[in-house]
Amino acid sequence: MSPAAEPGGSRQHFGHTELPPSQAHALRRAKRLEVVTLLYMTSAVAVVFATAGSSQAMKTAWVEDTLALVPPLAFLVAVRFGRRRPDADHPYGFHRSTGVGHLTAAVALLAVGLLLAVESAMGLVRAEHPPIGTVHLLGQTFWAGWLMVGAMVYTGIGPFVLGRMKLPLAEELHDKVLYADADMQKADWMTAAGTIAGVLGIGVGLWWADSGVALLISLSIVHDGWTNLRHATSALMDERARTYDDERPHPLTRQVDEALTNLSWVEDSRSRVRDQGHVFHVEAFVRPSASHTPTLEQLEAAVSVLRDLDWKIHDVVVMPVRDLPDTIPAPD
Amino acid sequence: MAGPMLRRLLLLVAAVVLLAGCGTSPLPDDFPADPDGTLDRIRADGVVRAGASPRPGWVEVGDGDPTGREPRLVEGFAADLDAEVEWTVAGEEELVRLLEDGEIDLAVGGFTEANAWVSEVGLTRPYAGTHVMMVPMGENALQSRLERWLDESGGGQ
Repeated sequence: MSPAAEPGGSRQHFGHTELPPSQAHALRRAKRLEVVTLLYMTSAVAVVFATAGSSQAMKTAWVEDTLALVPPLAFLVAVRFGRRRPDADHPYGFHRSTGVGHLTAAVALLAVGLLLAVESAMGLVRAEHPPIGTVHLLGQTFWAGWLMVGAMVYTGIGPFVLGRMKLPLAEELHDKVLYADADMQKADWMTAAGTIAGVLGIGVGLWWADSGVALLISLSIVHDGWTNLRHATSALMDERARTYDDERPHPLTRQVDEALTNLSWVEDSRSRVRDQGHVFHVEAFVRPSASHTPTLEQLEAAVSVLRDLDWKIHDVVVMPVRDLPDTIPAPD
Repeated sequence: MAGPMLRRLLLLVAAVVLLAGCGTSPLPDDFPADPDGTLDRIRADGVVRAGASPRPGWVEVGDGDPTGREPRLVEGFAADLDAEVEWTVAGEEELVRLLEDGEIDLAVGGFTEANAWVSEVGLTRPYAGTHVMMVPMGENALQSRLERWLDESGGGQ
C-alpha cells in the first residue's frame, strides 16, 4: 500500500484523478499555507501559554489555539491519503479520509468547547476574581496584563491573514476540511479582541469581564464544532453532494442529469451523486428512447460527457434501464 | 504571493513594536484596579490589616506584634502607604478564610509559591527565592503595589 506513483513527477492527484493546472496550483499553495499555519499556531500556543496567568479568557484562547492545530493536520493527512490510487481492498480509493479528518476536527471542537463553557460559567457563578499581578522583565516592573494583550495581538493577526488566504483555495479544491479551517480562522481575530477586552476589563476592576469573555469564546467554539459535526456526518452518510461551504446542493448534481438527457438516444435520466471528499462518485440510470438499445460506444460516450463536465466527476457508472428506479427520489 | 507576505511581515513587526511598547509604558496608580477597593481602603483608613502565621526564620510570634523578616517587610510596605499595621495571628487555614472573607488585606507565614491555597487566594510574585505573600484573590491594585514594593525593597534581603 505505497502512495500512488506520480507520473511526470510534479503532477497532483486525488486518487486516479489528475488535477487540472489551476487545482494543482491551489493544492500546492494550500499545503504550504497549512504548514505555515501549523508553525504559526504552535508559536502562538507557546506565547499564550507563557503569558496566560490566571485569566480564564486567556486559558480559553490558549485551548482554542491548540485546537486550531487539528484542522491543518487533518487537511495535510487527508490530502496525503487521498492521493493514493484505489487498490483491491479499497475499490473506492481513499477520498473518504477527508471526511474522517473533518469529523475528527468537529468532535474535538465540540467536546472542548462544551468543557470550557461549563468552566467559564462556573467561574461566573462562583464570582471568581482573577488575580493578575505584575511581571519583572528587563529591569522594569509592569502589569502582567500588558503581556497578555501583546500575546493576543500576535495570535490574532496570523489567523486573520491565513484564513482569508485559504478560503478561495477551499472552493477551488472543493475541500471541506480546508474550508472549515479557513472559516474558523477568519473569525479568530474576534477571539483575540475579546480576550484583550477581558484582560483590560480585569485591569479596570471588572472581574466578570474575564469569565464572561471566556464563556462567549467557548460558545463560539461549541457553535463551530456543532456546525462541522453536522456537515461531516451528513457527508459520511452519502448525502447529495453539496457545495464546498455546504450552503446548497452542488450544481453538478443537476448538470449530470441535464447532460445525459441532452444525448439523442436518452429519454430520461436519474442519478445519485455523492461527495467522496474532493471528488464525486456518480451513478446514473438512463432510460433510452422507445425500444432503442444503446451500443457500448454510446454508453462510453455518455461517461466521457459526464467526465468532461468537471474534474471532480471521477468515478462514473452509467446504467441503461427500462424504467427509472423508483428507489431514487427525484431531485427537488 | 509577495503582496500578502509583505503585509504579514508588516503586521508582525507592528505586533513586536506594540509588545516592546508595553514594557516601557508607565503604570498609572489606579491601573489595574481592585474590584473590592482594598488598596483605596488602606489609603483612606491608614491601616493595613495583616495576618501572620508563625514560621521560624520568617515570622516570629511572641508577646506583642510579630517580628522577623516578613513582618518587617509588611511594616515597610505599610509605611510606604503612610499606614499602620494591624496584626492578626492565626494558623495558615484560618488566614486563608480571613482573606476570602475580606477580613484581612494580606498574610505572611513563610509561604512559598508551591502553596496549596492558590485557588482561594492570590499569591504575589516570589521574592527571596520562592517566598510569597497571600493577598485577597483578584485585588490586583493591592497585589501589583505590593509586588512593586517587594521588588524595590529587594525582598528584605
